[in-house]
Amino acid sequence: MKRFAWAALVLLLAASFAAAQKLPWQKSERPQDVRYLFPEQVSVPAGKDAVVELHFRINSGMHINSHTPSEKGLIPTSLILPENSGVKLDKVDFPSGSEYSLRAMPSMKLSVYTGDFVVRAHIRAISGQHLVQAALRYQACDVNACYPPRKAPVVVDVIAK
Amino acid sequence: MKRNAVVIVAVIIAVGLMVWAGVLNYRHRQQQEAAVKQLQSMTAQPATPSDGSSDAGADGSSAGFGGFMEHPLQGKMAPNFTLKDTEGRNVSLADYKGKAVIVDFWATWCAPCKIEIPWLEQFNKQYAGQGLQILGVSEDNLNMDNKVELAKEKQDIADKAKDLKINYPVLIDDANVSTPYGGVDGLPTTFFIDRSGKVVASTVGLVSRDEIEANIKKALGSGGQS
Repeated sequence: MKRFAWAALVLLLAASFAAAQKLPWQKSERPQDVRYLFPEQVSVPAGKDAVVELHFRINSGMHINSHTPSEKGLIPTSLILPENSGVKLDKVDFPSGSEYSLRAMPSMKLSVYTGDFVVRAHIRAISGQHLVQAALRYQACDVNACYPPRKAPVVVDVIAK
Repeated sequence: MKRNAVVIVAVIIAVGLMVWAGVLNYRHRQQQEAAVKQLQSMTAQPATPSDGSSDAGADGSSAGFGGFMEHPLQGKMAPNFTLKDTEGRNVSLADYKGKAVIVDFWATWCAPCKIEIPWLEQFNKQYAGQGLQILGVSEDNLNMDNKVELAKEKQDIADKAKDLKINYPVLIDDANVSTPYGGVDGLPTTFFIDRSGKVVASTVGLVSRDEIEANIKKALGSGGQS
């Protein structure tokens, strides 16, 4: 019986090992096109309005739609804060986008972010320390192709005194 | 004795699985490295335009990843699929046997797709008589767990297709049919399938109108029954 258990365990381990390998027909997940830079920790007055500046960087050669895309149907960049995190998001100030056109259609003016940008989050936190796991939802493109919308993790330790 | 045999067989299978996975992984890494080397050598000597046209891709740099890399499906039979179109009708790739087919993966949020689609509409009119069939496959995210939301999302795709005046069937990919096509990521991704059902060309990202037309002619001209 013990031997059967060992055999089953070895088989299970082998199957997990095989499943963990990247097989030729499996694609690796694309790396994030936007990275949250800082701050990792902020101190704000408890129960009062505070503004936190969140810094982001977009990979070179990529752009993302601004918060107010110029074309109908394009996905705007937005900040998502989980409920019941002890921190309430009242308002977000997004920077205005830069004008961008695809070479094939110069008349189509897109409103995008490139490089580094800062989002100002107006928050109100209850007293205490809160590890807020927010996310920046964005939809990125390069000069030729667009990629499905994604969420970049934004983790900030909010200390409200 | 019998138990011993079972254990030995199990261990052999386990070791075999590990070796098999390792070999596949090694081969895959080698293929990726070769592809990167190929891409690097191509970007070091970019293709120069021959006609100076101002379309995307004309300068070589905007030809898209697909302009440089051969897709693994190249020369292979296009994976069949059956999806519902925006009118709710079943459409299967196999229905178009004997025709040259373009399978164009797009999404409503994809700006380059909005440039490519009007070209496809024109090609649809121009080459339909010669046996061209275009199928647009929407890769918009669908909320499969919420029926009300799902219906709204499907309607939204149908509305956007109408806004874009798409004159060929638009299918809604609610079955991940993009997976057998290599897990379509960058949009638009377009496959050109000949009359015998083989993939003769594919492009990832926006390429020039001329390149699309050349691929259409390639698809129409091969696979017999031209």
